[in-house]
Amino acid sequence: MTDSLTTQQITSAEIRAHLRERSSATLRRRMATSRIMTILCWLAISLAAVPLVALLIRLFEKGTPVLLKSGFFTQLPQQPTLFDQTNTGGVSNAIIGSIAIIAYATLASIPIGIVVGIYTAESDSKFASTIRVVASTMVGAPSILMGLFAFGLIVVQLHLGFSILAGSFAVSVLMLPVLIGSTEIAVRNVPPTLREAGLALGAKPSTTSLRIVLPAATTGIVTGAILAISRAVGETAPVLLVIGGAYAITWKPNDPGSALPVTMNSYVASNFDSLKDLAWGIGLLLVLVIFVLSFAARIWAARKQKVQR
Amino acid sequence: MTEHTVNMLKAVQEQEIVDPRTGPIAMRLSDVSVAFNGRTAVRDVTFDVPANNVTALIGPSGSGKTTLLRSLNRLHDLTKGAKVSGKIMLGEDDVYGGNIPVTVLRSRIGMVFQRPNPFPTMSLYDNVVSGLRFNGVKKKSILDAAVEESLKAAALWDEIKDRLKAHGSTLSGGQQQRLCIARALAVEPEVLLMDEPTSALDPIATQKIEELISQLKSRVTIVIVTHNMQQAARVSDLTAFLLMGEDRAGEQIEVAPTLKLFSQPDDPRTMDYIQGRFG
Amino acid sequence: MVATAKTSQTAVEAEGRRPSASTRGAYEWTLLIISGLFGLVSVWFVGTIIWQSASTFKSQGFYIFTGLNWIPGAGTGSPSQYGGRAMIFGTIETSLIAMVIAVIIGTGTSLAINFLLPQKMKTFVATVVELLAAIPSIVYGVWGMLVLAPWFLYTIGPFLSSLPGGTAIFGTTVAGKSLLLAGLVLAIMVLPTFVAISREVIGAVPHELVEASLSLGATRWQTLWKTVIPTARIGLFGATTLALGRAIGETIAVSLVCGGVIGSSFKPLEPGVTIAGFIATQWGEAVGSDQIGALFAIGAILMVVSFAMSVFSRRLVARQRRAAAVV
Repeated sequence: MTDSLTTQQITSAEIRAHLRERSSATLRRRMATSRIMTILCWLAISLAAVPLVALLIRLFEKGTPVLLKSGFFTQLPQQPTLFDQTNTGGVSNAIIGSIAIIAYATLASIPIGIVVGIYTAESDSKFASTIRVVASTMVGAPSILMGLFAFGLIVVQLHLGFSILAGSFAVSVLMLPVLIGSTEIAVRNVPPTLREAGLALGAKPSTTSLRIVLPAATTGIVTGAILAISRAVGETAPVLLVIGGAYAITWKPNDPGSALPVTMNSYVASNFDSLKDLAWGIGLLLVLVIFVLSFAARIWAARKQKVQR
Repeated sequence: MTEHTVNMLKAVQEQEIVDPRTGPIAMRLSDVSVAFNGRTAVRDVTFDVPANNVTALIGPSGSGKTTLLRSLNRLHDLTKGAKVSGKIMLGEDDVYGGNIPVTVLRSRIGMVFQRPNPFPTMSLYDNVVSGLRFNGVKKKSILDAAVEESLKAAALWDEIKDRLKAHGSTLSGGQQQRLCIARALAVEPEVLLMDEPTSALDPIATQKIEELISQLKSRVTIVIVTHNMQQAARVSDLTAFLLMGEDRAGEQIEVAPTLKLFSQPDDPRTMDYIQGRFG
Repeated sequence: MVATAKTSQTAVEAEGRRPSASTRGAYEWTLLIISGLFGLVSVWFVGTIIWQSASTFKSQGFYIFTGLNWIPGAGTGSPSQYGGRAMIFGTIETSLIAMVIAVIIGTGTSLAINFLLPQKMKTFVATVVELLAAIPSIVYGVWGMLVLAPWFLYTIGPFLSSLPGGTAIFGTTVAGKSLLLAGLVLAIMVLPTFVAISREVIGAVPHELVEASLSLGATRWQTLWKTVIPTARIGLFGATTLALGRAIGETIAVSLVCGGVIGSSFKPLEPGVTIAGFIATQWGEAVGSDQIGALFAIGAILMVVSFAMSVFSRRLVARQRRAAAVV
């Protein structure tokens, strides 16, 4: 605490004089620092942009010819040899496999994730907050752990083996916490006056939720679902551990299958440049799918906002 | 009733209206215009701001008074596409000329904003001395003295002297605004700009700040924007009335000693405004 | 997207509409049961990982944290050794490198986006950043392996080695792959995520505070450093923990570029391993519950660290929020 007796000895004029002196003495340094730091911020944004732009350019540059090559989407993979280095075939099996995995995972996780998200948004019980904490902790968990979980449960305990089912399970465990979080946010963002109005009309809480609040939250829920799917599309590690691998086209849950990221992972380590190029192609395909999904989510969210206005 | 109002009424009765512009002048505005991306917001403002007096800028919304105020401490430098033309003099210096660095200018012209905005991560003490620290002052004895002095000038010292380490959010709205005033005063500005400082406050806090303004003018020149003309009549010595013209740019209608502008304005539009004919 | 709807929760609470046990209908029961199902799944998740790794922890004891050797004993007659030190250190080293780079460059980038770029560009940049954050990590890994690794091999490596004491401090790469490269790839990968959040948080600092700071005579940098960043520090911390969580858990982007060699030196240019990367690369070769259990074990270590980080950061954010209050 300031001792009034001491400070009374410093007059207002002294303060002013000291301030003027310090201000002019430090002026040049302060302005130089500001200029330098501004330049450094420009440098930072350039340093951030350069590798990302370079990556995108290289991805499109190397991936586009592969995507355009006939048979990429329709042919089964082949093994190039020293004499026939470009005989790579396509990735049709991986495409079907990925679609199957995502489809099953979506079917399983979206209903559950949305329901749990609604629960955590509406309830304030201890159990609800526990679930909320669990979900948000799992969102940040390393994805490979989901693969380990799927292995332990599906492959080993349930004796279902390395399969598309196991891969789907791992992906759905990955998607669930994300869905729960985004659904909760979407429901909470519905203006509370809407719920209050419903209750004031005499509706039961459950009716109010189902008929009034949830329809209003649909946009946000759907957006969250689309984003969860787009995250799942590119996940490699959890699928890698349990999918098994297959050359043929299959979507049966019991069969071992293939998936785009897994194929990409094995091709990139190949000695054949043609297979490495195929890895670029798969990468571009994944990125394009994800971009399309992101745009779809954006357009959906924007259109609904316009309607609400 | 503040002392100021009492003096005002006495002056009315004695028909003694002193034009404060006959004394020393703190700032001179000549043909000042502000445009954003080519669209003029306020134009051709010319008047003198008398030193150690309160000058009020009044007018309906859209008349450009806040835009004009912010041009005085070069806040429009932050807005891309903003262009300030004309001449603004602070004493001998051209505000937009090259010779005063803008940081120095801004420590000579302080500002208090519409909503109290103490820095949220700083204690009350740190808030008040923040300006001093920005300017390179480090000595604790100086900072301590400045805290006491500014808070006393802002009529806040007694209320918070025992909790200077507390957080800004522990103060009421009116106290927060006085804290911001103390913060601005700590860098010893020549001019203090106030942008509708009481519009977010309750009537009692408003009154306290209006009293404070009357006390402060002996220490610093004040330019205040207010949409409340009664407030202008209560606190100011000189009043400038601005109005949005047909080209949607604000223009200066009349500048006169407050007493005169509110009792015998020259311009009929001024008369209409003070009689409440348009908002 | 920040969830700001705590107020709606209290408003709803005030309505007293929380159903008590007697008024629970089909709707409430459905919500409860499905949530219980999710709870069960999450418990099973943790349980499976711990269960499968239990025997390894029992047999290895502390060696799994401190030991360097990873030698399955099957067929050799001697007991298995599963030492996770290399993976743990590798995870720490790559994540640290990644976070230092990402936070510094990311903060500068966010400041630039908010204060230096023209207003009109902001939505465009925000969209671009979000899209970049959505790119799957395997793409970063492939790019790192096929593009950056050769660059490291032919340019960065020789350059660093030529510095005084270079090889001693930095080590040498194997085909360009190294922990430093892995850290760099992680940084690039994590940058969009960090910038997406920090840009929003810094943009949320009320402009009046910026104006107030400048009106006191502060320079632009003083305003950014002393006013904007401290005001945004809670959000910046959140962005950091999120990015860090991604970094330590990343599997493929790292495994493709780290070199995959269990080494005893952790010099940046030397190849190394991380926990997640090692599990992925060893998985194919792991035969028998002994080896698989060992991989589960280091996975369990990763899981515990990740969960601890999550809990810790949540507590810290909550405490900072309470301390700062709302001004």
